[in-house]
Amino acid sequence: MRRLHALRPIEVDGQDGELISFCGHCGLRPHPRAAPPASRVCDHCGLGVVLQARVDVAPRHDQPFLVVDMSLSVCAVSAAAETLFAIDETDAVNRHIGDFLVPADSNAASVENLLTLLVDVAAGSREVCTTVVRPRHEYGVRFWARIGPCGSPRAALLVLS
Amino acid sequence: MRTLKTSEAAALLNVSPNTLRAWERRFGYPKPQRSAGQHRQYTHGEVAALRDALQQGLSISSAVSRAREALSTDTHTLVGALAGFELDRADGAMESALALRSVERAVEEVLLPSLDELGERFGTDSAPWAFAARWADGWLRRAQRLAPAPVRRLAILVGDATRSELDRDALAVRAFELFCGRSGARVMALPVAGVSGLSDVVASLSPNAVVIAGSHLADDDIALWAYRVRATAGPLPTALFRSSHQTAPVRTTGTRMLPHQPFAAHRQVLALIDDRQGASVREVAPLSVPEAERERREAQV
Repeated sequence: MRRLHALRPIEVDGQDGELISFCGHCGLRPHPRAAPPASRVCDHCGLGVVLQARVDVAPRHDQPFLVVDMSLSVCAVSAAAETLFAIDETDAVNRHIGDFLVPADSNAASVENLLTLLVDVAAGSREVCTTVVRPRHEYGVRFWARIGPCGSPRAALLVLS
Repeated sequence: MRTLKTSEAAALLNVSPNTLRAWERRFGYPKPQRSAGQHRQYTHGEVAALRDALQQGLSISSAVSRAREALSTDTHTLVGALAGFELDRADGAMESALALRSVERAVEEVLLPSLDELGERFGTDSAPWAFAARWADGWLRRAQRLAPAPVRRLAILVGDATRSELDRDALAVRAFELFCGRSGARVMALPVAGVSGLSDVVASLSPNAVVIAGSHLADDDIALWAYRVRATAGPLPTALFRSSHQTAPVRTTGTRMLPHQPFAAHRQVLALIDDRQGASVREVAPLSVPEAERERREAQV
């Protein structure tokens, strides 16, 4: 029983549903007790905008992720996703998400499935969901994709793991 | 046009100067010009457009894309005005462009692309093109008249080998002349077709460089004109601008091809002149050492 005193509660970022901030490029989260930033630009890398997402959706700093708007255009690509897809964010922005990712779930009804999820989340009619995707023109590689809302302005955050 | 120093632009965007320079490398925006001392100078309009776009952007890339779009409205306005034969609106579009950019960038980013678009849309043998080209030619000439008086002892002779003011290259040549004039050089443009009395003009101007611009005239006509200039002024740096006659440098006379864009072309011509003047100083310098030595020995004796 005495050993229980050595236990410490695990530090978590927040409860499910709570919003946390992260950089849309490097994925780093500002310190929770840090003063509110002077601008939306990430203090750490300077190459991303600070976004907010639910704690159960927000990426860890090393997880690749993309931000997609309601018209399914890519709005942001993280540094890890740039490496994963071998693209530059500057080339990817304003292109259709289908140019980079396609559904890889054999149970999914159609190609529209991933796109429907993204549109629903970006539009606010669906909250958090998961699906399986693979990079376009690549086979034998699959990722779990966690999709949830982020902003502002509201968009769909797609985190690969 | 209002310009900002790096620190001022960074303060307006609430980022550090290092971040601003990192954006320039990664996104090519905001794109500063350089002052005489090679310091960055940002246009207020570009920075303000980015600041507004960042409020609603999900990434720096998308904000940059939105800011660029906001700036490109001037081109759409100018194309619309010229296609609708509205001179006042066309003048207004250029005024708006000048509020956000330097004259050089307004010409290269708004005026010339708009005219290119009209040329593609209507063809260069059409009345709309003639209307637009005349307006653009008038605008460029007006800007040239308003340019500050030459401050450098530089003179550039331009051999104009374009067909007329309706030639597509003619506007680029006018823009090239404007940029050279605004850099402080004296510029004289003469038609390549006329060689009579050329030597008097060349002797009076005593140019530091010769630029043959346009591709309408035959190679032989251009060669004759260049020969007459060379016979009067001696061997001068010679360059071709918007010429279709050759693509590689000529080994015998060292004639160079200038870039297609007028701004880059004018920079290269000025560099060519500076190189030549630097070389002539370097050529003189070693000769003066023995002379000085001889003078010193004579003084000792």
